[in-house]
Amino acid sequence: MSSSPRIVCSQLVKRLPSGDELITILDGVDLTVAAGECVALLGPSGSGKSTLLGLMAGLDRPTAGSVSVDGRDLSRLDEDELALLRRGTIGFVFQSFQLLGNLTARENVLLPLELTGVAAAGRRVEELLDLVGLSERGHHYPAQLSGGEQQRVAVARAFGPRPPILLADEPTGNLDSETGARVLQLLLDMRQQADTALVLVTHDEAVARRASRCVRLEAGRIVSESS
Amino acid sequence: MNLRLHLSTMVRESRGSRGRLLFFTACLAIGVAAVVGVTGAVDAIEEGVRAQARDLLAADLVLSSREPLPDELPDVLDELAPGHTRTGILELPSMAAVAVDGSPGPSRLVELKAVDGSFPLYGELTCEPAGALHELLTDTTVVVAPELLSALQVALGDTIYLGGEPYTIAAAVIAEPSRLGFSFTLGPRVFLSRAGLDRAGLLAYGSRVRYRSMVKLPESAGADQLNLLRSGLREAFPDPRERLSIETWDDAQPAVRRQLRSVRRYLGLVALLSLLLGGIGVSQIVRAWLASRTAAVAVLRCIGFRPREILTLYLGHVGLLALIGSLLGAALGSLLPALLPYLAPDLIPPELISAWQPWAFARGLGLGLGVALVFSLPPLTSVYRVSPALVLRAEAEPLPPSRSVQLACAATLLAGIFGSAWSQGDDAALAGWFTAGLVITGAALAGGALLVMKLVGRIPRGSVPPTLRQGLSALARPGAGTTGAVTALGLGVLVVMTMTLVAERLDQEFADALPEDAPSAFLVDVQPDQWPGVRQVLADSDARSIDSVPVVMARLSSVDGVGVDELLVDRERRARWVLTREQRLTWRQELQQDTQLLDGELWSDPERAEVSLERSFAESLHAEVGTELVFDVQGVLFELLVTSIREVEWRSFAINFFVVVEPGVIEDAPHFRIAAARLDGDSEDLARNQLAGDYPNVTFISVRVIIEKVLELMRSLAVGVRVLGSFTILTGLVVLAGAIASTSLRRSHEVALLKTLGVTRRGVAALFAVEYALHGLIAGTIGGLGALALSWGFLVHVADVSFSPSLLALGLAMFTGTALAVLCGLAASRSAMAAPPVMTLRA
Repeated sequence: MSSSPRIVCSQLVKRLPSGDELITILDGVDLTVAAGECVALLGPSGSGKSTLLGLMAGLDRPTAGSVSVDGRDLSRLDEDELALLRRGTIGFVFQSFQLLGNLTARENVLLPLELTGVAAAGRRVEELLDLVGLSERGHHYPAQLSGGEQQRVAVARAFGPRPPILLADEPTGNLDSETGARVLQLLLDMRQQADTALVLVTHDEAVARRASRCVRLEAGRIVSESS
Repeated sequence: MNLRLHLSTMVRESRGSRGRLLFFTACLAIGVAAVVGVTGAVDAIEEGVRAQARDLLAADLVLSSREPLPDELPDVLDELAPGHTRTGILELPSMAAVAVDGSPGPSRLVELKAVDGSFPLYGELTCEPAGALHELLTDTTVVVAPELLSALQVALGDTIYLGGEPYTIAAAVIAEPSRLGFSFTLGPRVFLSRAGLDRAGLLAYGSRVRYRSMVKLPESAGADQLNLLRSGLREAFPDPRERLSIETWDDAQPAVRRQLRSVRRYLGLVALLSLLLGGIGVSQIVRAWLASRTAAVAVLRCIGFRPREILTLYLGHVGLLALIGSLLGAALGSLLPALLPYLAPDLIPPELISAWQPWAFARGLGLGLGVALVFSLPPLTSVYRVSPALVLRAEAEPLPPSRSVQLACAATLLAGIFGSAWSQGDDAALAGWFTAGLVITGAALAGGALLVMKLVGRIPRGSVPPTLRQGLSALARPGAGTTGAVTALGLGVLVVMTMTLVAERLDQEFADALPEDAPSAFLVDVQPDQWPGVRQVLADSDARSIDSVPVVMARLSSVDGVGVDELLVDRERRARWVLTREQRLTWRQELQQDTQLLDGELWSDPERAEVSLERSFAESLHAEVGTELVFDVQGVLFELLVTSIREVEWRSFAINFFVVVEPGVIEDAPHFRIAAARLDGDSEDLARNQLAGDYPNVTFISVRVIIEKVLELMRSLAVGVRVLGSFTILTGLVVLAGAIASTSLRRSHEVALLKTLGVTRRGVAALFAVEYALHGLIAGTIGGLGALALSWGFLVHVADVSFSPSLLALGLAMFTGTALAVLCGLAASRSAMAAPPVMTLRA
């Protein structure tokens, strides 16, 4: 595990309007994720885990505080620059899979590869589908796949361009425990092989235990950290 | 992002929404069909009118002058219009005398027309016995009007004398094209050949000759070549003193020209509005389509697509669909002109129509693409506002709008509307007005929608029944798209209602322009004591609209004390006629129906003998109310004070005069009567024969053939207006229905939720109905007001007809807008209401 930080969050605050008032989702969060590190963000619903994840990826803007990825302050980047940053650097796996319904499994995996201009993208897709055990189902559309299969496609898509950072938001939340365990194992194995920094949002203690570090959030604050 | 990736992503992205995209394509196709159809139909109608109207001129172009035409004319014509046919004509008054014992006897003033070549070049000259004019005419024969036969008591084969030379009457001419009205008629027509005219030796110095050259272009030539020829001739023969007149078919008939101008402008409006309709349809469908793709856009952004890449992705999509839609629409639109000959067979003979009009096709294609891209931009820029955080939280707020994107989008939209309006109407100022009007109406609609949303938000929730409350709050909830939907619907109402109002008013105008009983025969030189008898003959022949007025021939002697000779010294030739011509004066107590008083008051000064002048006559004379005129009637001078100026509706074909004198002033002067009547074919022959026998001095001039032609032309134009108007209105309704339906397509999720919560289908329908009705009501009201303003602006300022906006029309617009919105909205939500909620919620 290398020690140079991939993600540095300092004093992150996020407030959202709700009716006439602002509610605080994150309240002064400091977090650093090192290269190749596997961090679990644990906490009950509404504790701000997913919001923190979104801020780390530049999907959302903090109300105060800053996020830097690979030394670049995200608040200084415009939407285009953020998109370009995500393109090669950050992979995602979501609780609700978020596959593009119009694209086959194969095309979903192919898209970020094409976007980043990976050479021999076709071969890489086959390799990835093989890795997640779906080489026979590449021509199926998301709607024709089970939840576990869809999430495996999402994992393949996330690892495609070999991003140094992978953000996973409750990746097993929508799956039964057996399937969830299989997908989690796959995710961790692939992370290991590629030496990817992984931030894993979960409310499942068992899942969190698989990470090298566990950060516990409650009401928008980090309440404990354990390795 | 490279092109290949772009294309492949585009194709993949279309998969889930092909049904909707098909709808998009269809909507656009209809809009483009309207544009191509109208463009093609305008060309076809113009071509048809040209073909018909040139019969009225008997040529494509006529040059005429009181002086011999320039010697270089044939060479210039050969150069400008290769392959043309031309005929030289000389017209002059002369005396025709009967032969008495081999020498000239009693005579009669006639109008000679010497023809050098074939005549007419278009239309037909009906002779009895039948034959082509140039075959009937030798240097010793003439063809004469039948009234001359009766006036001189001669028959076919007899001899008459012109300039002392004998000529044999070879035939009688029954109907002559290019002769309408009686204004300048001096006597019956006599045709003779050019050689025949030379033989009579009548072209001596001082003869009042009018020289004409009639030109017919080759069959393949279109309106453009004619315009080129006209401007070429003007350039070759500069004519600062306006001695050389150049007429083309659209100068031939002022009544037709005026109507044609209205029609042409109307068609321009139709084309513009149909284009706008296409744009509205596209905009709404793209909006609905993108709303359904928000999640996909968020994922794309999440994996690193830049907003502008996503924009171009969807823009490319729109472009591709627009291309398909435009191709389909252009093909469909090409069929409309082909249908015209069946709808108005008199106006447009099928052989004039070519369904394949490459120019109209290409223009439709270009306009369709342009309009689709430009109008889809505003909804497409919403991809800039899709927050990538949507992948984590469904309720993630949209990103703040980017000012530069909004500005660029608005500028492109305005430029696009202006550009297409310009290309459709060929008039930059008009296009500017159109764009400005659209912006104002659009802003009013959006403002109205916002205001209503705001007001609705303030209604105390407890004070209204639950269904209405739900409907109202649905209208005002964030992201409901109320503004966009109301703007689109309102603009649609504007288009449809404008079309309806304008078409209706123009139709009325056509009906009024040429009453079916416009006179078809004029009787000149009826002596006052003959009138009761002549009137009886007309009545016995079933004549309608019999009218007769006394005429006193007079010459102007002085204006405000300055003699005519003095005035003539520095007069431009153009205005000389008012001074030198022998004028026809009449007296009348009241104004005719088709006359309008512009200045002064009729017969208002009890002390003075008064005169009323027609506007253009007064202008040429530099006379106004208060000017003193002296007229000379056979040596007796009449001093008259101008006390009123009139505008005369010359196109009414009724008998009208430049100079009308107060009753009681000139009645005792020598005068004759002019009469006019409407006679149909058989009764015309009857009246003509009876009059020729009983009153040989009366000249009977028939314009029946031409009146009928003009009537037919007007009727066909009216049909054209109705057909195209209905077509656009129908298109408008279809596109409107589509726009409304497209907003309701994205509501399946809402329906599912409501049903899950226990709302019955009827309840959901009621709830939606309230919301759609409110949309329709706002849109109908503001769009209706806009339509009244646009119709008024167009009719009064562009088409030059009166228009009084009616509240009934506004009420109708409000009702139609509401009903249409409710019906189409509910119809489109039907499948969503029928589906079990779990299907939608699970997806």
